Amino acid sequence: MKKTVFRLAFSKLRYHKSRTLLTGISIMLTTMLLMAIGTTGIGSIDMSRQLAVAQSNYHAAFRLTQPEQLSILSKHINVESLNTIEPFAQIIYGKMNGTLSLSETVKDGIYISNFELIEGHLPEQENEICSLPAFFERVGAEPVVGGTVTLSFRVNGKGEIQTKEFTICGLLTDREISTEISDSRIAWSAYISRALLAQYEKAGLYEASPSAYLRFYGEDELSYDEMENKIKSTASDIGLGEEYISMNKQYLSTMTNPGTETMLIVVFVSLIVILFSALVIYSIYYVGVITDIQEIGKLKALGASRKQIARLFFCQGGIVCAFAIPLGLLIGYLLPYILFPQIIQAAGSTALDSSYLEYLLNIKGQIHMFSLPFLVLVVIAVLITVWVSLLKPIRMAKKVSPVDAIRYQENTTDCKSRKGHLTVKVSTLTWSNLSRNKRRTAVTMLTMGLSCVLFICVSAVLSSTSAEDLARRNIKQGDFRLSLDYSYHDMEYPENNLNQLVQQDYFNETFLEQLASIEGVESIERDSGRILSSTDMESAIYEALDNRLPLSYFTRKEVPQLSAHLKAGSIDYDRMTAENEILCTHVYSFDMYKLAIGDVFPLTLYDGDREIPLTVTLAALTQVDADYPLLIMTEDTWNNLGLTYDPTTDIYIHVKKAQYDDVKKTLQDIAALNEHFELYAMDEELSIGRYSVSMIKYPIYLLLLLIAVIGFMNLINTMITSIVTRKKEIGILQALGLSNRQLVHMLAGEGIIFTAGTLFISVTLGNLFGYLLFLYAKDEHFMSLSRYHYPLWETIGLTLVLLVGQIAITCFISKRVEKESLIERIRSQE
Amino acid sequence: MKEHTNIILRTENLCKYYGTGDNLVKAVDCIDLAIRQGEFVSIVGKSGSGKSTLLHMLGALDNPTSGSVLIDGEDISSFKENRLSQIRRRKIGFIFQSYNLIPSLNVWENIVLPLGLDNKSLDKPFIRDIVKTLGLENKVKNLPNTLSGGQQQRCAIARAIAAKPSIILADEPTGNLDTKTGDEVMALLKASAKKYGQTLVVITHNEEIAQMADRTVMIADGKVVG
Repeated sequence: MKKTVFRLAFSKLRYHKSRTLLTGISIMLTTMLLMAIGTTGIGSIDMSRQLAVAQSNYHAAFRLTQPEQLSILSKHINVESLNTIEPFAQIIYGKMNGTLSLSETVKDGIYISNFELIEGHLPEQENEICSLPAFFERVGAEPVVGGTVTLSFRVNGKGEIQTKEFTICGLLTDREISTEISDSRIAWSAYISRALLAQYEKAGLYEASPSAYLRFYGEDELSYDEMENKIKSTASDIGLGEEYISMNKQYLSTMTNPGTETMLIVVFVSLIVILFSALVIYSIYYVGVITDIQEIGKLKALGASRKQIARLFFCQGGIVCAFAIPLGLLIGYLLPYILFPQIIQAAGSTALDSSYLEYLLNIKGQIHMFSLPFLVLVVIAVLITVWVSLLKPIRMAKKVSPVDAIRYQENTTDCKSRKGHLTVKVSTLTWSNLSRNKRRTAVTMLTMGLSCVLFICVSAVLSSTSAEDLARRNIKQGDFRLSLDYSYHDMEYPENNLNQLVQQDYFNETFLEQLASIEGVESIERDSGRILSSTDMESAIYEALDNRLPLSYFTRKEVPQLSAHLKAGSIDYDRMTAENEILCTHVYSFDMYKLAIGDVFPLTLYDGDREIPLTVTLAALTQVDADYPLLIMTEDTWNNLGLTYDPTTDIYIHVKKAQYDDVKKTLQDIAALNEHFELYAMDEELSIGRYSVSMIKYPIYLLLLLIAVIGFMNLINTMITSIVTRKKEIGILQALGLSNRQLVHMLAGEGIIFTAGTLFISVTLGNLFGYLLFLYAKDEHFMSLSRYHYPLWETIGLTLVLLVGQIAITCFISKRVEKESLIERIRSQE
Repeated sequence: MKEHTNIILRTENLCKYYGTGDNLVKAVDCIDLAIRQGEFVSIVGKSGSGKSTLLHMLGALDNPTSGSVLIDGEDISSFKENRLSQIRRRKIGFIFQSYNLIPSLNVWENIVLPLGLDNKSLDKPFIRDIVKTLGLENKVKNLPNTLSGGQQQRCAIARAIAAKPSIILADEPTGNLDTKTGDEVMALLKASAKKYGQTLVVITHNEEIAQMADRTVMIADGKVVG
């Protein structure tokens, strides 16, 4: 008997070829998606683990305050490995952002990238130095061991500039640096010897401020929090507070929770896939049972038991699974296996620092992506999905009575009557069909709508991550920003301080005119300007910044924007002007420096050498993304100061697109002439921004693709369900004179209503959730999201895809239905 | 001669074959038939004799293999699908054995459906009259699945008459009904056809019904035998 059921199942599958194919594709896609998502997840966990290890394996760095702390640490029971790095001096070479440091290993086991000796030895003599070959090239020396290099530097980043000739004693891992990025955006390091440090220390010219890089025991056993506690308690053992600890969060979280977050995402996305797939597979079987009721009735009439009917369906499901699952597993594994390295490469090609790309490319071949337990899990998940989707159709099939073999007519509504219309048009047919089974219509719209909601949600975040936004944080407007590189309070070189620099009047009208006369420059705008302030009272914030804080102003026009993000206090422009009140623009600093609304600051403002006394009251706290200094006053208060010197620190230059490169060159030359000028170019900022965006964009695009595929499965099924089940009805309508064009109108009308409903749900809910997701992501500082971009193109794209897709599928299926002769269709259920 | 001018439906050498070679089935084999305006013709024959196929070709539902069907003197065998659906809407009313009402439309909507498909304005008193004649006054808002078989078939008859077609084709209209209801429905069909001056072609197994007709055509093996 079992054999008979199996044979029957097999012949039914062959008879209903298109249905079998559709179920097969759905199951295959489900398997493929689950497998692909999981494989990608496993791969990315493995990659981030390898990456974290490749960069550095320290757990935390302590900024040491006492000399004896180091020896206590080296003997501490918690400490596994220990390295020290002492930043000794700031390298003075053009606009290079470089440091001379001393690195010493106290307890073996710390690995730091770019600190792997490939040639020579570490510095021992006071004149020895080692660094990356690229560094030596950058400062104009030949990168060979035994060669010499002359460097200027300022010990501890202050004091007089020293110049010294060094002998190159070692070369570190080579690291190619993108030449398109300005020097000041790359941090260079060169290493010198303990002997040199000692020499300066002896002379009282150097104040040691070493940092200890530590590894602690228990990385494999402890959780992130436990490790964090261990690190903090060790720090407190040597008398260091939390502010002296810098945790290597990326490494620690990668090592302690092996991809919990990734796994959560995988599980979440998988559940969505399973949910939608189950709905799709369910409705295919549901339709199958409805169209097969007479056949099932006949089987019942021939004596098939309920159990045998159930077995027949499970058998059909099982046979399809036997083909679809292995295929899905294979494609689902191969897809990420092939695409993943390419995505990494795509992400890496925009990378700022090619060493990162190198890591990625070096490990791409060895990324571990396969997991047998996971594969088994996918198979079980798919089997359960199919089983669950079969339950309800089977229950329906069991209830079919032998009489249905002759008598059955689809009865989909509980209503006895219908108000109806006086006349019937094609549109009446469209509506009546949709309202006939309201639940099915609503469920379809909702499920399709939900996948679209997901799409809109994700694209809301995606469209808000823009390279331009990231770039605009450094260049507020225009194409270039020429910025004054000033100090707040440099005692040794006071001429570098802002109040002194403004006396040079670098941004005078003549200079601006000179810039404006460069061919291609369209316009030049000044930024609002800054003025330094100090206070005599005790204030954490002023202490933290050498008792100098830049102030600026806001205009009356900006009040609504500032008020919109008000966190505390109140903003009233006129009152603020009258009372000399100021506004704090950063919540984080407000909390950190324990500021409070109502704080009164007796300030001294520095206009060149002139000192302006001004007592201000902190009136409000706001958090806007615009580029304001920490404290701002009203424009009127600012104007009342009667500044002698022009306080401009930044100018923005708008140029014609075609001449961008030429202008850039000219500006670079101009900036090079003045050591206080720093040039920010939009193309550089954009490439930095693009790098950051691409790191997140590709995985999200992949996710969007998956959502689209699921949505499309649902769409195809909806259309097939609605047309195939009404094959006979459509036949009757045609027998009554419905022309082909009217038929297409009717079906397309249904499709358009579905699309409209789906779009309504996705646009309303999608945008709402999308915005909430954006706020959440922004709050979590995900991708430095700043401004919400409405996903307009994505919404338009979605609308078009839905409309075109629905109409195309409708036409395709109705053409197939038309192939069957009218008579066959009318008789199909007789 | 007068009879000839009144011919509304005519077939010439009408053939419908299925399959080829040894499997060739001649469902309809060279039938010449002429039906006059207002005539009530019954077509009888055994199961599989080809009477339904003949009816389907008369009603432009099926294409003949060869030969032609002339409705009002027009040869429809060369017409495109659009023109055929127009003919079905305007000139022919169908009544099926299994009623074939549209389940999502109520009785009234089912009745006026062919008019709607043709964008014709509604002759409300006429439709009301049909509804009354067929005893469906209290059922116009009902959905088909709440009606008995007899009521559904009466609704189907109303639908066939509503567009004032010149020809009504009925394929065993009482086949699914008990004898009493069947007789009632048949009487109504005949009366309405007469009242509205329509030609009625009915396929039936029922001797009584066949005898109600003005003329009976007997079909066997795809040929007219009497």
